[in-house]
Amino acid sequence: MPANPLDPAPGARAERAADAAPSSRGTPPAERLLNLVIALVNTSASMTKQQVRAGVAGYGDAPSTEAFERMFERDKDTLRALGIPIVTVDGGGHSDEVGYRIDNDAYALGAVDLTPAELGVVALAAQLWSDKTLRTDMSRAMTKLRAAGAGEVAADAVAGLAPRVRAAGDAYVPLLEAVSERRDVSFRYRAASTGQELTRHVEPWRIAARGSGWYLVGFDRARGAARVFRLSRIVGKVRVGSQAGAFDVPEAVDVDAMLGERVGVLQRARLAVVPERAQALRARALPGDGGARADGRDLVEVEFRSLSAFADEVAGYGPAVVVLEPPQLRADVLRRLSAAATLDGPGAAEEPEESAQGAADGAGEGSHG
Amino acid sequence: MAERADDRLVRLLGLVAYLDGAGPVRVEELAERFGVTPRQVREDVDALWVSGTPGYMPDDLIDFDAFSLEDGVVSLIQARGMTRPLRLGTREAVALVAALRAMHASPAVQADRGRAAVVASALDKLTAATGEAAGAVDVQLEGDGDPQVVAAVTTALAEGRRLHLRYVNAADVTTERDVDPLRLLTQDGAMYLVGWCLRVDGRRTFRVDRILDARVLDAPVTERDVAVAGDLGADVWASVAHRSAPAATLRLASAARWVAEEVPAESVRDLPDGTVEVRLRVTNPAWLRRLLLANAPDVVAVDPPDVARDVAHAARAALDAYATTTADHPDGPVG
Repeated sequence: MPANPLDPAPGARAERAADAAPSSRGTPPAERLLNLVIALVNTSASMTKQQVRAGVAGYGDAPSTEAFERMFERDKDTLRALGIPIVTVDGGGHSDEVGYRIDNDAYALGAVDLTPAELGVVALAAQLWSDKTLRTDMSRAMTKLRAAGAGEVAADAVAGLAPRVRAAGDAYVPLLEAVSERRDVSFRYRAASTGQELTRHVEPWRIAARGSGWYLVGFDRARGAARVFRLSRIVGKVRVGSQAGAFDVPEAVDVDAMLGERVGVLQRARLAVVPERAQALRARALPGDGGARADGRDLVEVEFRSLSAFADEVAGYGPAVVVLEPPQLRADVLRRLSAAATLDGPGAAEEPEESAQGAADGAGEGSHG
Repeated sequence: MAERADDRLVRLLGLVAYLDGAGPVRVEELAERFGVTPRQVREDVDALWVSGTPGYMPDDLIDFDAFSLEDGVVSLIQARGMTRPLRLGTREAVALVAALRAMHASPAVQADRGRAAVVASALDKLTAATGEAAGAVDVQLEGDGDPQVVAAVTTALAEGRRLHLRYVNAADVTTERDVDPLRLLTQDGAMYLVGWCLRVDGRRTFRVDRILDARVLDAPVTERDVAVAGDLGADVWASVAHRSAPAATLRLASAARWVAEEVPAESVRDLPDGTVEVRLRVTNPAWLRRLLLANAPDVVAVDPPDVARDVAHAARAALDAYATTTADHPDGPVG
């Protein structure tokens, strides 16, 4: 700790630094970044790279011009990612050199006057994400909000709630950048029905999470139509186009309509259920003409949306639940049961089934509804 | 565990902006606010103390009152223009606003008007402050459940009261029990109540859409020192999987790879033919039977053989039932 910070001797920084961390060999990256921000916020007009290198604490550590350039470029990227935009200023008549500064208005957070209860809500929202990247982003966002003077956190309003969203995976960050800046993307995409990988070229509109899946909604250039892609089927890296504003996003993107094929329209199933069984299904039964059938089973009517998810659920009950209608649900459940019936046999499913039905929902790509 | 430079930078800038508005603040209070140790706050102050504008003469530097710091109070004298709180980056704003929007629309929040109002106002303020309204990310926290059940659970959580539940488990057995609620989790289109079950005197996880009936009792919950894992998966899966449970090995077609991603697998192995081998330990055979029945078309092999026999037996019984059960109610087509 500095013994006497008011010591007016020149080179006060070095002296204070020597007091604070006598053994330090160079300026830690966080402090270099801090000094760059302070310098570029306070500069009267702008600073050239040379002025940064010569003047800003930490950049003198760079052993060569190339090392300095790399350091400076990396630092600019870091700051941009944090929401600190460094703008370039034309050198004007005096010099060919570009100058840099930080735009003070773009730097600052607008007034957020969060009550303790609201901050509690925001803190809970910040925990929604499972991805490491997103969790890092959120903890930084909370630091910024706390710095903005937001009061103490009161979590009473959302006591006991714990919403979570499944991890979106590595594709999320580049896709979000692309959506935000309207850049096109390309990626290898595995069609679940065939297992085949193809390169897709897409104008990304929205990233959406529904149920247990993450989706990209956008315009598939090769197919000339809007498409939905499941993020978990993107293979390898997402390449982001170099041009910002490369396309227009339609005024209204109805994500749910586009996911409709997957999420499904609301349908009604008629089920014959063994008495006392499938209580969870019965709890969702529609009121009305239920009751005992001639064969001793109860007629239960339930609404469902996703054909495959509901077929999974019904098949899971085995003999306790028989689908009467609709026929497609009946066929889907029968397909599952037929496959299960041979699991103990000698020829038990040597080859993975790859019928189009096997893809089920969430497997292939949906088309625009 | 070295801290990332960008994370530290955000806090360093945050400290200056906060102190500029708040006046002198105790080290411990700052530590709590920024979620770090008091020692870290002192190191941050040391770093700020040596930072400033080029030249780095005393007047160029961020400055604190050294005497009050000795008394454990951080008092900012010179902020060098860094008084304004840093705005949120695009990614941060998008993710935070999307999360708030999803929470606002979720059944657990909508079950209570006061709660919905607080989430709505937080969402409004953040949307205004960040200008992030475009909605590049659109998240929905679905979660089926009887609205009355959800309302009872959220009320019990908010008021710290005991619940009486009628619950049907994965084996389709219905039980009645009193539960002290701990958490209402939402994930993957389902809601889960984590609570202390008084019937078994242990922590249990209940799928909300399997709660047939929930009643808020007058009795307050009993204070217990129960750790609720931050990791949701752990909570949800603790009920079906355990290290000491018998192991089962499933070989799955690539289309069912999600199983490997979503269940607590002991090991996952990609095989050269494109299939996936998942090794699980499952305490609840009914749960495994349901999983296999539902995903049978993508199941290539199951080990041990008695698990396969159990599933195949259930499936053949079901096929027999289908052969003899038809729509004998001539009510016409279903709407």
